[in-house]
Amino acid sequence: MADKYLKKEALEKLIAAVSSSGGCFIAPTTDARQVVFKSVEKAADITHDYVLARNSYKEFVFPQTEVVATFAVRQHGIGLTGKEVAPKETVIFGARPCEAASLSSLRAVFTWDFIDEFYTKREDRTIVMTVACTTGDEACFCTTVGLSPESTAGSDVYLKETADNGYLVQAISEKGKAFVEKYAAVFEEQAGAKTKKLFMPEKIKGIDLAKITGRLKNTGHYDEPVWAELTRKCIGCGACTYVCPTCHCFDMVDEGTAYEGERRKNWDSCQYDSFTLHASGHNPRDTQFKRWRNRFMCKFSIYPDKFASKGCVGCGRCVRVCPVRLDITEVMEELSK
Amino acid sequence: MENALRKKAKELLESGEVKVVIGYGWNRAKTRATPVFITKPEEADRLVFNPLCVNNLSVYLTRKFKDIAALGRPAIVAKGCDIRNIVVLITEAQLKRENVYIIGMTCSGVVYRQELWKGELKPEIMPTKCGNCDVRNPHAADAVIGAKSTFVPPDAPAGMVFNKIKEIDSKTQSERWGFWIKEFSRCVKCYACRQVCSLCYCERCITEKNMPQWIETSAHPRGNLSWNLTRAMHLVGRCTFCGECERACPVNIPLNLLNQKMIMVVKDSFDFKSGYDEKTHPPMIVFSPDDKEEFIK
Amino acid sequence: MTDNKMNNIYLPQLVTIEDIYDETPDVRSYRLVFKDSTLREGFDFKAGQFGLYSAFGLGESTFCIASSPTRKGYFQCTFRRAGRVTNGMADLSIGDTMGFRGPYGNWFPLDQWKGKNMVFIAGGIGLPPVRSVIWNCLDRREEFGRITIVYGARTVSDLVYKEELAHWGKRADVTLVQAVDPGGQTPDWTGKVGFVPTVLEQTAPAAENSIAITCGPPIMIKFVLATLNKLGFRDEQVYTTLENKMKCGVGKCGRCNVGDVYICKEGPVYNAAEVKKMYNDF
Ligand code: SF4
Ligand code: SF4
Ligand code: SF4
Ligand code: SF4
Ligand code: SF4
Ligand code: FES
Repeated sequence: MADKYLKKEALEKLIAAVSSSGGCFIAPTTDARQVVFKSVEKAADITHDYVLARNSYKEFVFPQTEVVATFAVRQHGIGLTGKEVAPKETVIFGARPCEAASLSSLRAVFTWDFIDEFYTKREDRTIVMTVACTTGDEACFCTTVGLSPESTAGSDVYLKETADNGYLVQAISEKGKAFVEKYAAVFEEQAGAKTKKLFMPEKIKGIDLAKITGRLKNTGHYDEPVWAELTRKCIGCGACTYVCPTCHCFDMVDEGTAYEGERRKNWDSCQYDSFTLHASGHNPRDTQFKRWRNRFMCKFSIYPDKFASKGCVGCGRCVRVCPVRLDITEVMEELSK
Repeated sequence: MENALRKKAKELLESGEVKVVIGYGWNRAKTRATPVFITKPEEADRLVFNPLCVNNLSVYLTRKFKDIAALGRPAIVAKGCDIRNIVVLITEAQLKRENVYIIGMTCSGVVYRQELWKGELKPEIMPTKCGNCDVRNPHAADAVIGAKSTFVPPDAPAGMVFNKIKEIDSKTQSERWGFWIKEFSRCVKCYACRQVCSLCYCERCITEKNMPQWIETSAHPRGNLSWNLTRAMHLVGRCTFCGECERACPVNIPLNLLNQKMIMVVKDSFDFKSGYDEKTHPPMIVFSPDDKEEFIK
Repeated sequence: MTDNKMNNIYLPQLVTIEDIYDETPDVRSYRLVFKDSTLREGFDFKAGQFGLYSAFGLGESTFCIASSPTRKGYFQCTFRRAGRVTNGMADLSIGDTMGFRGPYGNWFPLDQWKGKNMVFIAGGIGLPPVRSVIWNCLDRREEFGRITIVYGARTVSDLVYKEELAHWGKRADVTLVQAVDPGGQTPDWTGKVGFVPTVLEQTAPAAENSIAITCGPPIMIKFVLATLNKLGFRDEQVYTTLENKMKCGVGKCGRCNVGDVYICKEGPVYNAAEVKKMYNDF
């Protein structure tokens, strides 16, 4: 499919078209002094000057709280109903190339032998419209983990801003091609508009991913003092995992009264001490650095080895949000030695 | 100032008086201050002190950090406002005064968030607490580092948080309710506000007590409201307005407003402000026949 | 049954509590049957697999299936009152409804062990997973050699499956050694007094052509392994089942991992050689 062109003004038409066909349009917008992914109703609500939205758009494919079943006490036992989801078409506009790459990681987990259809059904109806970065900050490190603003992996439609206030549009996936065709009226033919220069974070020299994964393979590293030294300052707030586009962990809880209620799947984080606490009181990860070590293992050993995907896409969200400024790249650098 | 701090830290570690100095250091790019734990005298030079040193390191003195306690007697680099939390910890028998060496730093204020730093400390980028600070010269310390501050806080507390409280107070009850419901609706139940607070030191937070389930763990309006109100209530008469919870909140919920409002209520009802005197117990745990009871209505 | 178009991996099946056995003051066993008759007849699992049991309104909890796959039409679980869910479960009565998801996880490779002598070593509430294998072997008795069971608990009242212990003790084709920790005996106690590893060493089952299966508190397992090694058992001959906190049971919720190993998907059954290769994340 030949590249297309999208005028910024035409976003208004796109939002209207998506909504009128029953879909939902998510874009970066400003809420409580932060840029966040949220559903928008008009183009004016979209924030264009941002590095990355504070939240990852994973909450639209993997909601923070999701009912999986409802139950009610009936006269003869318990009535149990599985929740059905029938997601609408969901357009994520303004994702960045780093986070676009994260959906395949989540999918790998949610389809590992057992298929979590709450996830797959949503993801199947999601169109990721990535806007390549023309700005960034010191927390961005996509280039260090093998991605860059040029990466199209995970994007359905990949856009580059043009000097004349529009976008050069490339449909990447089959889903993306179908999307561009479906809304053909909104897109124009490409007429050689000049694209803006992309922001390229500098690759952090001291980091070698293969070395990290290799070093993590050796179980002996669990007892090295480096973990406590580098990460004991972590206060276990879990914010890093909530904003991370690849974190998939959840808890299952029942809520309601003694007569009826629902079973929910709620985001959870390996950074909480209650996460692995046994009912007996024993906790295999009884100090914060052990919990942090698990997060690092997850990103750089479990994801790449078990799920053949990226555990970290270098979006830098965890670095920005951390109240003690525990910078994952500093640990990566140390572990590359 | 930094040299004096490093010298002090080195002495303390060399003499064996303390085993670890909890302080601030640079990140790799030297753009952000971050907590450091210095255990060897030769590493004392990593310590820094500047307006980016926002963290209230007193959280590391709580029992939440067993591995840090295991390092041995700590010295802590603390601004006056951080020391207020240490004082509360001592009052509440969480810490013995002699078990910590307080290196008090005279302070000329810090930034509200490190990202705001453009090389110069201006009132616009400072938290409300700094403009009203009466402990720029540390009030309880084993050693004080830095030249005496001559700053005098205004008679009537001023600044963004106080203005906003006035504004909210002038609203009707249902408007106020609406305001908070909207703010709390963003809560993602990450509990960063709790984790960062040195006064939220319970090993089993009420959120983790599930027999019965006091607080629903889902991030939906019902669960969010009960969590945010419970957290605030558990800090009444104890919170020092250090601002860490608001700083840590990833979704910008204005927790400082709530905390300061509680502080004002406690001040009016009991003429008490926490964190100044380790001998005075907070009003919520003492009962005096003189207590005004008008807040119970 | 629930009418379900979507394949919902988190949706339990309804089961009825058919019988309740109080094992100790805080340990109970339930005999469960599926409400759905097809499932009731068709339910199949292997010894060592586990499931997630729901007390509706309170949540799910993970235990192994404690009955043998050779016994059809029902299955059993044994649990200790510990947290919210197990307390809620313990409050249920015969005829009440629970939820069950499973069977999940791997199992003890019994079919590879034909002709072997079997040594079972359990402590306290570690007996239920082992019991599934014991009955499985006993129901296929001719396929196995000598069967030795070493079981200990803190006190006499902490021993679970007392009736079955009595039955095994009487059987000529089973060697049963029971023990309680020093101080845990009653005046009429006829078994041994001592810790499981010590009692195991005294019992000294032959390592030759044998498989040992052990389950109990982590500290006990550690010493049992050392004792077995002393008795000549190679790590490959020793099997255990690992426990970790689980929420999904299907490799999604991310909390049961020991280092890079997901206990719910790749375990819970491992031999000692495999356990020794794991990360120190216990
Ligand atoms: S670990 Fe941090 S930088 Fe990596 S993907 Fe997650 S949030 Fe982004
Ligand atoms: S284990 Fe931790 S780091 Fe890994 S996905 Fe779960 S929360 Fe994220
Ligand atoms: S955001 Fe920082 S302090 Fe919070 S859990 Fe993550 S690393 Fe620890
Ligand atoms: S301001 Fe927040 S972090 Fe500081 S003492 Fe009060 S509640 Fe705790
Ligand atoms: S830090 Fe903010 S989002 Fe997290 S639990 Fe506290 S109020 Fe909610
Ligand atoms: S129990 Fe959820 S991943 Fe293993």
